[in-house]
Amino acid sequence: MLVLEGITKRFGGVTALDRVCFDLCPGEIHALLGENGAGKSTLIKVLGGIHQADEGAVLFEGASVDVNGVTAADRLGVRIIHQELSLAPNMTVAENIFLGREPHAFGFMRHRAMADAARQLVERLGLHEIRDVRKSVSNLSVAHRQLVEIARALATRARILVLDEPTSALSDAETAALFTTLRRLRAQGVGIIYISHRLEEIMQLADRITVLRDGRTVGTRPVSEVDQRELVRWMVGRDVVDYFHRPPHVAGPIALQVTGLSNDRVHEVSLTLHEGEVLGIAGLVGSGRTELARALFGIDPVRKGEIALAGETVDIHSPREALRAGMVLIPEDRQGQGLVMIQTVAFNLALPWVREWNPGCRPDLSRRHSIIQRAIEGFAIKVANAEQPITGLSGGNQQKVLVSRWMEHRPRVLILDEPTRGVDVGAREEMFRLLGGLVREGMAVVLISSDLNEVLNMSHRVAVYRDGRILKTLDAADTGMEEIMTLLTGVKTA
Amino acid sequence: MNTAKRLIPLIGASIALMVLFRILVPGFLNPENLVDLVQQISVNAIIAFGMTFCILIGGIDLSVGAVLAVVGTTAVYVLGYGEAETQSLFRFFLAVGAGLTVAVLFGAFNGVCAARTKMPPFIITLATMMVARGAALRFNQGRPISIPAHETLFLGLGNGRIAGVLPVPVLIMLVILIISAVLLHRTRFGQHLYGIGGNREAARFTGIAVGRAEITVYILCALFTGIAGIIATSQLYSAEPASGAGFELNAIAAAVVGGTSFTGGIGSIPGTFIGAIIIGTLDKGLNQAGVHFSYQYILKGLVILAAVYFDVRRKR
Repeated sequence: MLVLEGITKRFGGVTALDRVCFDLCPGEIHALLGENGAGKSTLIKVLGGIHQADEGAVLFEGASVDVNGVTAADRLGVRIIHQELSLAPNMTVAENIFLGREPHAFGFMRHRAMADAARQLVERLGLHEIRDVRKSVSNLSVAHRQLVEIARALATRARILVLDEPTSALSDAETAALFTTLRRLRAQGVGIIYISHRLEEIMQLADRITVLRDGRTVGTRPVSEVDQRELVRWMVGRDVVDYFHRPPHVAGPIALQVTGLSNDRVHEVSLTLHEGEVLGIAGLVGSGRTELARALFGIDPVRKGEIALAGETVDIHSPREALRAGMVLIPEDRQGQGLVMIQTVAFNLALPWVREWNPGCRPDLSRRHSIIQRAIEGFAIKVANAEQPITGLSGGNQQKVLVSRWMEHRPRVLILDEPTRGVDVGAREEMFRLLGGLVREGMAVVLISSDLNEVLNMSHRVAVYRDGRILKTLDAADTGMEEIMTLLTGVKTA
Repeated sequence: MNTAKRLIPLIGASIALMVLFRILVPGFLNPENLVDLVQQISVNAIIAFGMTFCILIGGIDLSVGAVLAVVGTTAVYVLGYGEAETQSLFRFFLAVGAGLTVAVLFGAFNGVCAARTKMPPFIITLATMMVARGAALRFNQGRPISIPAHETLFLGLGNGRIAGVLPVPVLIMLVILIISAVLLHRTRFGQHLYGIGGNREAARFTGIAVGRAEITVYILCALFTGIAGIIATSQLYSAEPASGAGFELNAIAAAVVGGTSFTGGIGSIPGTFIGAIIIGTLDKGLNQAGVHFSYQYILKGLVILAAVYFDVRRKR
């Protein structure tokens, strides 16, 4: 039914997709598998008309089609359900299903007709859980909201349904219910593209599997013919690129000791971090890694557990208290939570240390200047002028601003949450080299990253993190990507 | 920061306005007329300085006009309590103190609500605006309370002149101008406000006590309003429970014309000062040029729109 042939997509100088091939039959569930950044989302965006391919062809029922926009994809019957749900929470199930194409008479809403149509649709699709179509979406669980999305996607003639990581927020029972629904849709002839990291799920559900890695198709196999270990190797199977080195492991005294930390998303996490040590947290998106960082840093409340820095138990309820205790968090959302984007580079670098350069009402501008200069030089931030707007910097340099500004007084513990998202390889390498130097001087680092390669290269120890729990802490020197990926995806090794 | 550069077009606009009115009204730029102009803008400017702080952190204070009225009625009520025949220094300070205390209480309430609940400041201060207006109307059955003529100290606050030249309200306004400018542009508190207005989350992550700063801002705004309220009352020779209506809009206009961004994080005290001058010049000039007050409103609205349009365009 659908064939993607030699799809290539470049963003600037970066090749996101390199001659990717993929095909889908009606009444089939085809799983798309790969690490973060392997190109799955880009491929889906090409199919959905959000991006246009630079090379390659899309064939639909044998004929070449030009998917040059979202409407074109829509006309072909491609329906994509993204990871972040896009429902209006204060409207009812029926209103959401028909959002943008409400039944009306001369502009007046036909509420009853809409509710009836929604109910019929839901019955036809067998989504009995959302039968009550007059219920407000805000009262539904995440799993049921997803069903509303599916119903909306299938309200008009859908041929291809794409689900991007649909189970990341679902419990086991909800996942099982979703699978029943998907199997029923398959029986009705809908072609389904299913994206997930979770191997065990895919093995249960899919008919065929395609693995992407670094923007290329590694291979396509029917599920009955694949071996899980082989799949893991397909996913991570490049040689470990050695573009940064962890500093030598000279573990000093304990810098951070966490015992039984728990809240809604973090469950009984205990960890020990020494001075001069890097602890990697390896976890997939949605595993609750960020929530762990937020709990440590006093942003989300902690229900249970103890945090001790340098042997002293501390009570942390706000970032202020965490900073005072010697802990710094570089948040994952650089522009949303890290930087003041309407300001200059200098403003952002000097902000944490206003107390020092301006203790009263006479700012010491030379002091401010030297703080800014030290940060710029310390991390080799490329700026024309410190007073230039921060928006003019590349992602890598913005990230350097965020990290380097805290080095005016080296924190005891530095928590990095996805520090290399959107950062090019050069800046990445430089940042890790400079951080390595600081670690050698005794700084302790918690490194949270989806990039296993990065975690393995930079960390001394790796905590494998899944569903808000540390499954296992491994010595980075004795483990490999395959072992970690196996733990993360939940494949049971024989 | 580029505050100075931002001000150039504003200063240009205010000079152009003055020249325009000089042509329309021959005596417009006479010293006496100018002193009069500055005196007339004092109350609005003082409130606008406080408003600038609120808008800068992404907030707003709609209650200032009503708080101004309740401050005036409270102060005059205390001043005239017991029907005294002569003025006393003690009662003068008691009256002013009572007025300012009421203002600070309203500000603290606004601030605590804004910082500790998720209610939007627009709604919080809309509600306190009504409460304050109601409170002002409780005094003397909603009728004005006149200030006894022997209260020369209190009346001097709004009508006196220092050395026969400088009006007292102008002096007070200049002092508050300097205090606000130092606070916003020279202290760490001010720097924190720019951080909070620019990105609240990022400010929290850098360890800024966002809630505390927010409460301080609303108290400051209300305190300035209280001072403006005392002056306005003195200028009227009586406390009018219905006074101050629409003052919040004039203050917002001054701040916005002066380059304060409604999304927060951008703005300056000198800018607001010039904004207040532009609005005041317009009011007085149009009045003296004999323009009917209906046209005055229309022209003022259009000028505000134009000022903000050019400011927004320049920021791109």
